[in-house]
Amino acid sequence: MLKLFEREQLNLAKLPAEQTAIEVRDLNLWFGDKHVLHNITMRIPRHRITALIGQSGCGKSTLISCFNRMNDLIDNSLTEGEIIIDGRNINHKKENLSTLRSNVGMVFQRPNPFPMSIYDNVCYGLRLQGIKQRRLLDDAVEQALIKAVLWDEVKDRLFETATTLSGGQQQRLVIARALALKPSILLLDEPTSALDPLTTLTIEELMADLKKHCTIVIVTHNMQQAARVSDYTAFLHQGELVEYSDSDTLFTLPHKKQTEDYITGRYG
Amino acid sequence: MAKRSLRQLLNNRQQQSYVISLGAFCASILVVSLACVLFLITLRGLDYFWPRPVQSISFINAPGQQDQVYAQIDERHINSGGNQTTPSAWVFRYSNQAFPYGRQLLLHSNKVTLVAPAPEAADILLNDGTRVFSEPVAMTLPGGRSATLSQFDQIKREVSDIRAQIEAVRANRLASVHRELASYDLRQVADDAPARLRLYEEFNRWQREVTLLEAKLADYQLVTRFNDGSEFDIPLDDIARLSYPGQLDLWGKLALVAAGVGDFLTDAPKQANTAGGVFPALFGTVLMIFVMTILVTPFGVLAAVYLNEYAQDNHLTSVIRICVSNMAGVPSIVYGVFGLGFFVYLVGGNIDELFFADALPAPTMGTPGVFWASLTMAILTLPVVIVATEEGLRRVPAGLKSGSYALGATKFETIWYTILPMASPGIMTGVILAIARAAGEVAPLMLVGAVKFAPNLPFDGEFPYLHLDRQFMHLGVLIYDGAFHSQTDVRGASLMFASCLLLLLVVFVLNVLAVILRRRLRKRYLRGY
Repeated sequence: MLKLFEREQLNLAKLPAEQTAIEVRDLNLWFGDKHVLHNITMRIPRHRITALIGQSGCGKSTLISCFNRMNDLIDNSLTEGEIIIDGRNINHKKENLSTLRSNVGMVFQRPNPFPMSIYDNVCYGLRLQGIKQRRLLDDAVEQALIKAVLWDEVKDRLFETATTLSGGQQQRLVIARALALKPSILLLDEPTSALDPLTTLTIEELMADLKKHCTIVIVTHNMQQAARVSDYTAFLHQGELVEYSDSDTLFTLPHKKQTEDYITGRYG
Repeated sequence: MAKRSLRQLLNNRQQQSYVISLGAFCASILVVSLACVLFLITLRGLDYFWPRPVQSISFINAPGQQDQVYAQIDERHINSGGNQTTPSAWVFRYSNQAFPYGRQLLLHSNKVTLVAPAPEAADILLNDGTRVFSEPVAMTLPGGRSATLSQFDQIKREVSDIRAQIEAVRANRLASVHRELASYDLRQVADDAPARLRLYEEFNRWQREVTLLEAKLADYQLVTRFNDGSEFDIPLDDIARLSYPGQLDLWGKLALVAAGVGDFLTDAPKQANTAGGVFPALFGTVLMIFVMTILVTPFGVLAAVYLNEYAQDNHLTSVIRICVSNMAGVPSIVYGVFGLGFFVYLVGGNIDELFFADALPAPTMGTPGVFWASLTMAILTLPVVIVATEEGLRRVPAGLKSGSYALGATKFETIWYTILPMASPGIMTGVILAIARAAGEVAPLMLVGAVKFAPNLPFDGEFPYLHLDRQFMHLGVLIYDGAFHSQTDVRGASLMFASCLLLLLVVFVLNVLAVILRRRLRKRYLRGY
């Protein structure tokens, strides 16, 4: 409980704009006829780790995918409401998805390195932006890999195929790949569920480290993990935001019955 | 009821072992039949190159007329019927005064009176593909000199040097004079202009030199004797190879086989495709396949990418998919007719009208040619490439696509940088199948550009070097042609088998290349997936 006193507490309901990374207003989402997200309204604070927890199918992955509009790739998805990042509503029709997605990085459940060298993997996003100068790329790769705490392990084999790395290394490589674009927000969709406990620990340490550089939103099934790493936690149930507060409060003194039931394992 | 009783009869293990035996039986039948095909073709194909001994044969040609000749026996038909009175038959090729360049004969064995080995007789292969079987005696040289046979190699070299001189004069001197004269004609220089007269003089000078050399060459003769004692002179310049098959040991025979294979691969067909080599057909086949691959791969890949990544999943798309699959089942001759009607006459005809109008009515593109043949084959193999590419595209993990999108890639960038490299082994599978299918097709090619004999290769030193509008020779067409006109010519039939063997090898080599490429792509892109 030492943690509690170290932290300044932000009032989530009245978070000022300069401390808000993502503001969600009345977000509704349908997949075909299925109403997946119901009137979500929340503010995600800047340079903090926010965890989304809830049962499978409650819409937390869908919600996190809204932040970089990955749901657009799914046929018959329909989004309503506003998501404001850097003062712009990203749900606007004219939003440039390439710019948005390089500003809002995303890491998936299973490590998905591209079938190319480690170096090329990290460069992928930069090259898409048209950066070709070797020097710039070299610097960016080194910086990103250092930030992802992978540099020391791979600096001698940058040009080997990325698929030869271990699972945990692959996941850190994927994080480095996103970091190379210097995103202000990093979305992690169950980043450790395919990894063993020890590797999970390295990724968690990495997250605490990355807080300096960007806002992190993480979806997790593991409540200990949410309690361990996150500053704020949102509990979703059947597409509705049930409770959203700082993690210590949510996990120790939940206001809602549903939250208490879930975190004490009575259902879900 | 029967099913139940069978189940009762056999326990699980027995059933399993029966199923396995049946499967193994089917697989072994397959392997055996494949081996038989390969064995037969290899045997008959290699038979074409194996030197046959020259024999001395006496036979009754007409009542009361006995002929004694040197001959190579091609085949002996043993009559296996129950009718003992029908004698067996001989097929052989012989040379004598009446038919010095060989004649093939089929005779009943009772007319053949004597067969004896004739090691002294030579098998003389001439430049035009014919053979003379006779006994070399001596050589006559220019100026009434003569030489013994032991000097044959040295004299032959002398002759080739003179021949090379003639060709050099033709290529370096006469050709340039001809070109210049043609340009004068174009510029309408007067017939008695001094420049023209000087050229005429130069032309005459070189022409005289060629005539002199030719006359000298004609004096080099090989004097040979037929079996009946009559003499026959062969210009040394005409002789391609002289061998004594009756005196050769195994190594000599193998060397002769190697020389024969070399000629077969590098020479043009001679004697209406019954002798000589198949180089133009080999070249045409490989060229056609290459051009087809270059045409079909991007087209098929684009179509597959559209169907798999861009097209909406609706009825129209499934109808298109079904159509593509059915296209693979359309008889190939239909594609040939389509190619002739659409590409050659319609497209080619219009190109002629638009771009080559001054050459009309002689067609430039509106005639069958190697490009139209490749295009027709590309259409024919398109479904194979599309289906295999789609298969490859479908196997790309969805996680990689979202990974690429999440880094800000557009759909096109994702396809270009991530999906296509991952699908490249699948694309190669399609290309392999397309090559295998295209190399074996003959019927459509005969309509759109493949001919029995094409004097010019589609490739030469003249700009633009690759002449895709020309007609070409194809191994398959050569085989088809050989199968029809060589009912009596046994050597021609062997040549057909040798061509079959070569066609198999070509397909095999191209496939192996593609498989190696695919393996490298797999190693590069699919390791760890």
